[in-house]
Amino acid sequence: MKTGTLLINGISRRFGQTVALDNLYVEIGAGELVALLGPSGCGKTTALRIVAGLERTDSGSIHLQSKDVTQVPAHQRNMGMVFQSYSLFPNLTAVENVAFGLRMRKVSRSSRLKKADELLELVGLDHHSQRYPHQLSGGQQQRVALARALAVEPEILLLDEPLSALDAQVRTNLREEIRRLQLSLGTTTLFVTHDQEEAMAISDRVGVMNQGKLEQIDTPDTLYNHPTTAFVASFVGTMNKIPTKLSDGVVDIFGKKIPVLKTGDHNGDVVALIRPESISVTSLSGSSNATVLTRSFLGASSRVTCATSDGTIIQSLTNSSESGELYPGAAVWLEVLNKEVLVSNA
Amino acid sequence: MAAIIKRKSITLPVALALAGLLVFLPFGSATEFSFRSFSDDGKMHHSLSPYRWILAQPEFLSHLLLSFKLAAFAVLITLLLMVPTVAWLHLKAQSWRPLIEILTILPLVIPVVALSIGAQAAFPSWLQSSEYELSFMYVILSMPFSFRILDIGMQAIPLKTITEAARGLGANWPKVIIYVIAPVISGAVAGAFFLTFALSLGEFTLTSLLHWDTFPTWVTSVSQQNIIGAIALSVFSLAAAFALLLTIGFFTSRARKQSEEAE
Amino acid sequence: MTTQFQASNKGVPRQGGTFIRRNLLIAAPLIPLIAYLAIFFFWPMLVVLLESFKNNNKEWSLINFTTIIRNPYNLAFRNSITLGLISALTASIPGAIFAYVIELRGSPKLKKIIASLSGVLANTGGVPLAFMFIAAFGAQGSAIVLLKHLGIDLYSGGFSLFSFSGIVVVYMYFQIPLMVIVFSPAVHGVRREWRDAAKNLGATPLKFWRAIALPLLFPSFAASFLLLFASGFAAYATARAMTVGNIALVPLVIGTLVDGNVQINQANVGKSLAIGMVVISALAMVPYLMIQKRARKWQQ
Repeated sequence: MKTGTLLINGISRRFGQTVALDNLYVEIGAGELVALLGPSGCGKTTALRIVAGLERTDSGSIHLQSKDVTQVPAHQRNMGMVFQSYSLFPNLTAVENVAFGLRMRKVSRSSRLKKADELLELVGLDHHSQRYPHQLSGGQQQRVALARALAVEPEILLLDEPLSALDAQVRTNLREEIRRLQLSLGTTTLFVTHDQEEAMAISDRVGVMNQGKLEQIDTPDTLYNHPTTAFVASFVGTMNKIPTKLSDGVVDIFGKKIPVLKTGDHNGDVVALIRPESISVTSLSGSSNATVLTRSFLGASSRVTCATSDGTIIQSLTNSSESGELYPGAAVWLEVLNKEVLVSNA
Repeated sequence: MAAIIKRKSITLPVALALAGLLVFLPFGSATEFSFRSFSDDGKMHHSLSPYRWILAQPEFLSHLLLSFKLAAFAVLITLLLMVPTVAWLHLKAQSWRPLIEILTILPLVIPVVALSIGAQAAFPSWLQSSEYELSFMYVILSMPFSFRILDIGMQAIPLKTITEAARGLGANWPKVIIYVIAPVISGAVAGAFFLTFALSLGEFTLTSLLHWDTFPTWVTSVSQQNIIGAIALSVFSLAAAFALLLTIGFFTSRARKQSEEAE
Repeated sequence: MTTQFQASNKGVPRQGGTFIRRNLLIAAPLIPLIAYLAIFFFWPMLVVLLESFKNNNKEWSLINFTTIIRNPYNLAFRNSITLGLISALTASIPGAIFAYVIELRGSPKLKKIIASLSGVLANTGGVPLAFMFIAAFGAQGSAIVLLKHLGIDLYSGGFSLFSFSGIVVVYMYFQIPLMVIVFSPAVHGVRREWRDAAKNLGATPLKFWRAIALPLLFPSFAASFLLLFASGFAAYATARAMTVGNIALVPLVIGTLVDGNVQINQANVGKSLAIGMVVISALAMVPYLMIQKRARKWQQ
C-alpha cells in the first residue's frame, strides 16, 4: 500500500472568540502512528478535520508527501477517515459501504466488491457483508468504517475518536486490531483521542494538546517518564501533587532535598509532581510521616493511599509482596525515589 | 469541538429573502389594507378606524371569550386524557404503543369535513345543543399532535427508571406523579397545552359545519359586511397565533434541552 | 409523518393465557383514551358509513353512491383531487428545498422562528390567509393597486384570485409551511458524519446527493407529499372564504349540503361524499406504505 509523510505546518483556527488551534506543528513519518491526545475542546478534532479538508485553516498549511494540499478539496485528498460513530451510510449494506470510495473513483462494480470483501475479511466481518449498519453492533460498525477508510488505499489514515462510543472490552480489542492492521499495511496514521491509555498503548508517538497548543510530542515512554510540562505530567498517568517550597532550584519533600527539573522560574510555594511508583512506603523504622488510609490489591502491585501529617493525600504503587503490613491506620514512612522532580505553580 | 462549518454561502440569504418577500407580500398588503378608511366623498385614507370599529363590536369580545373558553376546556380534557395515558404507555404498556400510535394519527387522515358530518348525524341533540360539543371535537383534532408531543417528550427521559427509583425510595403513586413525573415532563405538557390551545382557537371547518359561531367563523361573517374589518381581524389573529407558537417553540426546546441533559 | 415502531414489542413474554390476561390488565388504564376516541371519532364515522348506504326511506341502498359518481359531484371530486395534487406538487418541492437550506445553514434561533411561523400558517392560517390575499390581490388589493400605478393591470390580463389558479396560490401559503414542518425532521436526520464521510471517500456534493441523501430522503418526501395531497384535497376553510361558489370542490359541496342551502333528492348524499373523501384520503396512504416497506430494510 502506498503511504506518505504528513506535515501539519503551523495551522491555526478561531471560532468567534475561542481559539481552537494555535500554530500547531506536527511532522509524521511514513508508516508512523501518531496520536493527538488532549481533553475535549483542546482542538485535536479540529486539527484532524483540517488535515482531512473538512474544515479550513486560518493560517499555515498541510503537506502530504511534501506536496501542499491546503487548497485541495476534501474529496480529492485521498485520505481515509474513521469517525466517532454513526458514520456508515444507513441505506447501504456493509460491503456497499466499504466499496463506496471505490465507486466514487469509478472502479468497476465487480472489482470494487471484490476489494471490499477482502477488506471486510481483514477486519473479520466477511460473514456480515450483506447486513445494513443498524443490524451491526457498535464495534462491528466501527470495523466496517475502518475497512471503508482503508479500501481507497489512502495515503494517510485519520482516526477521530473511533473507539470512544464503544464498551470497554470492545474498545481494547479493537484498538489492538487497529494497531495490528496499521503495522501490517504500513499506513501512516493520525489518531485523535482523549483517552491517554488508548493513545499510549498503540502509538509510536503521542502529541499532548491543551487549549489549541501542542504541549509535547514524544514516544509514550518519554512522555510518561520525562514530561516537559506540568500539564503533560498530570494528564498522562497518575501524579501526586505535593505542596512544598522551592528555593534555589531545590525542593524539600518529606525531609529530603531534591533538585527541580526545569529551574529558573518561580521561587516560593510550588507543587511537586511525583508518580505513585516513585514513592516508597515503609513501616519498618520507628519514625513515621504518614498514615495509611486504604490499600487496594491490583495483582503484582498494590495501590497504597496515605495521608501525611499536614493532610496531603499521597498515592503509592508498591510491590504486593512487600505491602503486607500496610494495613489502614498503620504509621508509615514515605520517601521520594526521584533524583529530580517537576514542579508547577501552587 | 462542536463547531459548525461556516462557509460563505449565498443559499441561505437567497432562500430567506425569497421566503421573506413571499410572506411579506400578502402580510404587508393586508396590514396596509387594514388601515384603510373612506371619507364621505369616497376618498381613501389610512387611519385606525377599522381597528376602532372592531373594538366597538360587542361580538368581538363575546366571540373571543367564547373561543378562549372552548379552547381552555379542550386543553383541560386533552391533558387529563393524554398525560396519564402516554405516561402509562411508557411505564408499563410498551406493547400497546403501536396501536395507540395508529389510533391517534387517524384524525389526521380523515377529512374534518367528513368528521363534521358524522358528528351531526351521530351525536344526541342534548350534546349538539351545547357549545362544549366543539371542545370535545377539538380534542380529537389536536390528538395527532398532542400525542406525539407528549410521546417524544417522554421518550427522551428515562421515565421508568426514575419512577422505579422514586418508588424504591418510598414514594407512593400520587407522590410519584406530583414530584417526579410532572416536573420532568413539564416541557412536553406545555407543548401539548399550547398546541391544543392554538388549534382550538383557530378551528374553522368543524365549528362552521356544526353551525356554531366562534371567533374564526365570526371573522368570516364580518367579511360580508365589512371586508376591511375582516382583514384587520385576520392580521390581528395571525400575529397573535405567531406569538403563541413562538411560546410553544420556547417550551418544547426547553423540554428537549432538559431531556438531552438527562441522557 | 414518521411513525416509530422500534422497541415496541420488547419484554413481553408470550405465554398463552397468562400473557393475554396480563396484557389486558396492563391495557386497563388505556380504556379512557380508547373510549373517548370511540365516542367522538369512530362512532360518528361509523354512523356516516352506515347511513351513506341508506336511501330516503332508511332502506339499504347504493343510490347515494350512484348519485355522487355523476355530475355535479363527479366534477367536484375531480376538481378536489386536481387541487390536492397540484397544490402538493407546487408546495412540496420549494418546501423541501427551503427546509433543506434552513436545516443545513440556519442557526438554531432561525430554525425556531421558521418552525413557529410555519406552524401558524399551516395550522391556523386558513381563513386569515384568504382575507390577506383578498387584501393583496383582490380587485382593490394593495398589490394590484400598486402594480396598476406601475402600469401593470393584472386583472385585465385575465388573472383572478377567485379562480382555480388563484386558489392554488393561496393554498401554497399553508402547504409550503406544512411541508417545512413535516420534512424538516427528515433533513435533520441526515447526519453531518455522512456528508463528511462521503467527502472523505471522494464524493462530490452532487454524488453525495445521488448516492446517499436522495435515497435517504425520498421516503419522507413521498410521505410528506401525500400528506400535503390529503391536506389540499380536504381543505375547507380557505376554499370557503375564497370562493363565491364558482368552483365545485367536495368539501364546499358537503358544506352547502350541511347548511341546507340546497334541496337535493337524496338526504344522505352528503354522507356518501364524506365517505368518498375518506376513501380517497386512505388510497393516498397506499403508495406511502409501499415506499415505507421498501425503505424499512435499512431503517431501524
